[in-house]
Amino acid sequence: MRRKASLILLALAVFFAALSPLLRWYAFPRLAKVPPSQYQETVLEAKNATLLDYKQFKSVTVPKVTIVQTLKGNVEESRKIEKTAGKDVVVWDSLTYVLDDKGQFVSKNPERYIFDAHSQAPVHATGEMVDGDPVKRDGIEFKWPFLTEKRDYEYFDAQSRTSAPIHYKGTVAFHGLKVYYFEQTIPWTRVPFPKAMPLGVTPEVAKQTGLTRWYSTKRMFWVDPVTGGPVNGEEIHQEELRNATALFGQDKITAFSGHVKMREDYVDHTVALIKKNRTLILLLTSYLPWGFLGLGTALLALSLWLEARSRRPGTPAPTTRTEPEPVSA
Amino acid sequence: MRALVAAAIGLAAALAIVLTVSAIGGPEGSTSPKPLLTTVPNAPGAVPPGK
Repeated sequence: MRRKASLILLALAVFFAALSPLLRWYAFPRLAKVPPSQYQETVLEAKNATLLDYKQFKSVTVPKVTIVQTLKGNVEESRKIEKTAGKDVVVWDSLTYVLDDKGQFVSKNPERYIFDAHSQAPVHATGEMVDGDPVKRDGIEFKWPFLTEKRDYEYFDAQSRTSAPIHYKGTVAFHGLKVYYFEQTIPWTRVPFPKAMPLGVTPEVAKQTGLTRWYSTKRMFWVDPVTGGPVNGEEIHQEELRNATALFGQDKITAFSGHVKMREDYVDHTVALIKKNRTLILLLTSYLPWGFLGLGTALLALSLWLEARSRRPGTPAPTTRTEPEPVSA
Repeated sequence: MRALVAAAIGLAAALAIVLTVSAIGGPEGSTSPKPLLTTVPNAPGAVPPGK
């Protein structure tokens, strides 16, 4: 009976011991992926920002500029691209919509970002765009890979349509989480005019006047290293119109200047979401593998102990009684 | 010999479970009916579907 029990325990020990590395190195890379149907909105604000007033033809300080950013997973498009890409793909249609303190339209920037659901590496397919212009991203955008490393990443800048390094600057505590802080500075760069501008101004009209649009930003992200999700984002963003003497009476005029920060309720919401998702990732990468390894070791020890007891010499072995045969002379 | 068979059964069961779960994967879901926003929501998740 003890030998049978020890064999069952041995089978269970091997089962759990084998599950441990299989979960971590086989199941996790295949199961951990960004769902293609994700929908997420974020509100950011720049208090006391400078904005170009197209009616007055001058820069004015406004109490608040609000940026509403929506990410929407396009499941149908991701299925189409997966057929040719041969891997799990996520298609995010995003819209960054900027409003002034009176809720009036300032600018908008639609994007389509296509990426590998597991590694978050960009995938190039028809439809990848920024504000209607086809682009080819070399870097990540919006989200870091699962199990983010303490290193620089290439990050796509939607204004200049180029990728540049975003630098890992250290590990900090944020709302009870240990997060990685990343920073990217884009120096003054000439960038295209948005397709839609206030008062119906078009890029063609702006170009006819000889205006050029320039932009500089310092981009900051606090990223949860387990999920790769940013829990907070800020940007010190500046935009200028140059060669503006004919229209504005001076060569340079500020189109926007402000320190953009996530609205506090969205920070709390994002932190709660990240905390929930990081538990799922940690289950596959840490809690279950280590738990199963411990359980496997304990079961193996128990199995060996039972086996040893069943072989102990002092233990009466099960015997069958045999009657002595009669002796005959 | 019986110990080897027991270990092989344990290993096979672990492989079968992990391979099956990995092959099935997670649910894909469908595209959200919620719009790309052009107004400021009052609170996170306050956007009604199809608004």
